[in-house]
Amino acid sequence: MTKRAKHIKTVEDLHQYLKDAMKIEHATLPPYLTALYSLKPGSNLEAFHMIRAIAVEEMLHLTLVVNVFNAVGGNIEGVLTDSEFVPHYPTYLPTGATDFQVNVEKFSREALETFCNIERSEDMKEESSSDNVSEEEPSQPKEFLLPIFGSCADGRKNQPEQKFFSIGQFYQEVIDGFMDLYEQEGQNLFSSDSSKQISREYYYNGAGEIVKVTNLDSALKALYIIQNQGEGSRKGEIYDSEKKLCHYYRFQQLELGRYYVIDESNPINSDQPDNPTGDSFTVDWDAVYPVLENAKLSDYPQGSQLYTHGQEFQKAYSKFLAQIEKSFDGNPKQLIPAVGEMFRLKELANSLIRNPIPGKKGVNGAPIYR
Amino acid sequence: MSKSQMGVKLVDPETVFNTSYDVVIVGAGIAGAIVAKQLSEQGKTVLILEAGTGEGLTLKGFQGYVETFYSAVNKNPNSPYPYNPNAPSPTDGLYSYFEEKGPLPLSGSYTRVLGGTTMHWEGKTIRMLPEDFKLRTNYGQGLDWPINYEDLQPYYRKAEYEIGVAGDVEQQKELGVTFKKNYVFPMKELPPSYLDKQVRKGLEKQKVSIGEETKELKLSTFPQGRNSEPNPDYTKYNHGYNFVPEGMASVNPVEYGERCQGNANCVPICPVQAKYDARKTLNTIAFPERVHLLPQAVASQVEIDSATGRVVAIHYKRYRDKNSPQHTVGTAKGRLFVLAAGAVENAKLMLASNLPSTSGLMGCNLMDHPFLLAWALMPKVTGTMRGPIVTSGISTFRQGAFRKQQCAFAIDIHNDGWGWSGTGATDVVRDAIDSKHKYGKELHEELKNRISKQLLLAFMCELPADPSNRVSIHPDYKDQLGNYRPVIHFDIPDYCKKTFAYARNLSRTIFKLLGAEDHTHYGKSDPAYFKYQGEDYWFRGGNHFSGTHVMGTNKNNSVVDKNQRSWDYQNLYLLGAGSMPSIGAGNTTLSIAALAFLASKQMFKDLN
Repeated sequence: MTKRAKHIKTVEDLHQYLKDAMKIEHATLPPYLTALYSLKPGSNLEAFHMIRAIAVEEMLHLTLVVNVFNAVGGNIEGVLTDSEFVPHYPTYLPTGATDFQVNVEKFSREALETFCNIERSEDMKEESSSDNVSEEEPSQPKEFLLPIFGSCADGRKNQPEQKFFSIGQFYQEVIDGFMDLYEQEGQNLFSSDSSKQISREYYYNGAGEIVKVTNLDSALKALYIIQNQGEGSRKGEIYDSEKKLCHYYRFQQLELGRYYVIDESNPINSDQPDNPTGDSFTVDWDAVYPVLENAKLSDYPQGSQLYTHGQEFQKAYSKFLAQIEKSFDGNPKQLIPAVGEMFRLKELANSLIRNPIPGKKGVNGAPIYR
Repeated sequence: MSKSQMGVKLVDPETVFNTSYDVVIVGAGIAGAIVAKQLSEQGKTVLILEAGTGEGLTLKGFQGYVETFYSAVNKNPNSPYPYNPNAPSPTDGLYSYFEEKGPLPLSGSYTRVLGGTTMHWEGKTIRMLPEDFKLRTNYGQGLDWPINYEDLQPYYRKAEYEIGVAGDVEQQKELGVTFKKNYVFPMKELPPSYLDKQVRKGLEKQKVSIGEETKELKLSTFPQGRNSEPNPDYTKYNHGYNFVPEGMASVNPVEYGERCQGNANCVPICPVQAKYDARKTLNTIAFPERVHLLPQAVASQVEIDSATGRVVAIHYKRYRDKNSPQHTVGTAKGRLFVLAAGAVENAKLMLASNLPSTSGLMGCNLMDHPFLLAWALMPKVTGTMRGPIVTSGISTFRQGAFRKQQCAFAIDIHNDGWGWSGTGATDVVRDAIDSKHKYGKELHEELKNRISKQLLLAFMCELPADPSNRVSIHPDYKDQLGNYRPVIHFDIPDYCKKTFAYARNLSRTIFKLLGAEDHTHYGKSDPAYFKYQGEDYWFRGGNHFSGTHVMGTNKNNSVVDKNQRSWDYQNLYLLGAGSMPSIGAGNTTLSIAALAFLASKQMFKDLN
């Protein structure tokens, strides 16, 4: 039997890749949320709504990954609450791509460029294979995937280090590995306990479908949604399988100041990549709070209000991750109050973002995620 | 290559002049939007004339409304919408748009902007009760409908889909509403607020008598046009698909359906657009090239060809600047004409065109739901000011044999405190700071004790049709464009006042059961003040104006037929609550929407 996957050989490998997937999906949240909160109220409505919608979809992706992970017998306990779950920013993406770093920063042209990089598809680069990437940049730090959960020791340390140019490529490996393992294991791959699955009633935002994962079909569906919403289903198209604009092109609209047009009744007639033809709008790059890039608690003077707020945010964010981990671990009902906590996070973020840092002229506070 | 987005196409008067449409609609509210969507999907071309400005279709325009609302000192149903002297709304501006002739004022309002009064509605989506359709036959009051509940039921379902209704069918069944077997609403009910739960606890199993009957003071949640959680069981009513709530209404779709966050200012505007408004219907029209929309065009006359007895055109006045009366005049031509401008504006336009109808009932039978308010302070903090304006209420008084003697009513439990009574949270803050000079912890305590315990009960009373309650016109009363302002004659009969007195006593009983401190007081200086059996009262207008072009069984007892088609002019439809012969104790929007679906079907037949 020919194997599809290059690296995933065992169910343990699959678990590890899915944990990495959670880390990848989550790693986009701090930069997206910080950019979102940095917009001054009432300004840049287009940016506000686009970034917000994408952040919500990243949370959907995280939940979908968890559903797949739980379905194949993964143990979620300690994954989101691991001290290394939240990356140290600036960070390379946990896909291992090393040609750009992600900062937690205010909404700006640079931030937007990073966002496009995060959501890019392999079609956007000629040399798309991971081998090429590593050949081009041999001196870059190597492994970002494996050490995440201190898992080097458990059986993967002898494997070659992997890099993926795009998140989509990373998920292709997951899908391939999944198919291989299903051929070996059949339905045994899936745990019989579906009580940990987050279903539609617990997860609501309208941002696409939550999928209960119980078999191969539903697992693949969940993974395809993640893959597609970011970068699109097919080469040369701007929309995903639900005929919605992919994240990459949504961000690109902000760079170009113009909306893409999708013809939902006949998607082939939709705009071509890089050539939006819809209404234009103005992005006001100055209507943004000047928040500190990659802020750490030590950036705020001890004893200052900002320091206290920074600490409160940090605690609230850890609590939020702990709450959703708990809800993913067989307590789906707790997801609703956990999401409600995000209102508090937003309030706390505002108390940081809207206030200057004592002693640092023209620089405001920023939320601290770890 | 044809590229399209969803929505409508904004056009100029020249395009309108050079086009003959299948359908010309006056008014871009919920009824007009539904007809435009339905008929365009079946290949028909549509023009919508909208008196208000059209900026609400864009993200920026809508946000502008939100900001206007935030900065308004006086938060009323129309405060997000800048005053427009060319298309005034009642209660706006310095002078009154309504010319109220009494004896009591109609009060209340509607909104003349794109989206119509759904731009300020609260969002309750109540089906009428089967017995409401036969008010005359059953109770000897008002008028009967020419159709019954079962005739309208399938269209209620369509309306519930279009609006995106959240609610619990089982609770509605207990109130006497009937449903198709296994039917559920597209979304689950909005959860009851903490305040609701406290009231529920206090009233548990309590009963009161009305007439010969005994009623339980049982709370139920209201169905609402507001995003909650999609109900997985709804898929069988949605071709096997999950229901996907509509989100931000914007010409450029940027956001999926957001869920109600309990901002508690549903009236007038939901900042996250979790509440339905007619822009959501307009922005989801699949064939924008078939639906033209001309904003800032105030219809001024319906032109009839006396030889054929058919409508040939609608004349309108187009303004550029809402503050200047300068305008051009234009004509819209088509095969079929639909007035969907609201009960008062529809009748006014017909009367201004000298078309009082064969029955002479144009403008007559004006109805509304007058509200009696009663307010108190709960013994403990109940978290008032959280949640959508109303989540639960007592709807057991919507039906019963007592309706022979006194009108039906429904009770809302307000999550937004006493604001509607005239002494809102702002007044408490002003008093605490300016008069009592409180600050810090003391101020916090003061506000907690005086705001977070507020309970306001709103008793929504039925008002049966009476021809002497009416909209008329008079050359002395015109707006700056030279269009008529509505002249209103309005009174409330003893049939309703009896229920007011009953409701006031009931509120005392309820407050006692809850241990709440009654603060209700009806000042004599209120314009809607009246005395009944020695006691003082005033009421608030319900904004549910209806009955002005009532439907019936023939041209002598009504203005329109059961399809809302004019008896006199075969290519003219008058849509909206104006067609309703009775309104029970149920908010009217869902019925307006259902009736629009029903009428669209007949219009399609007419056009072929």
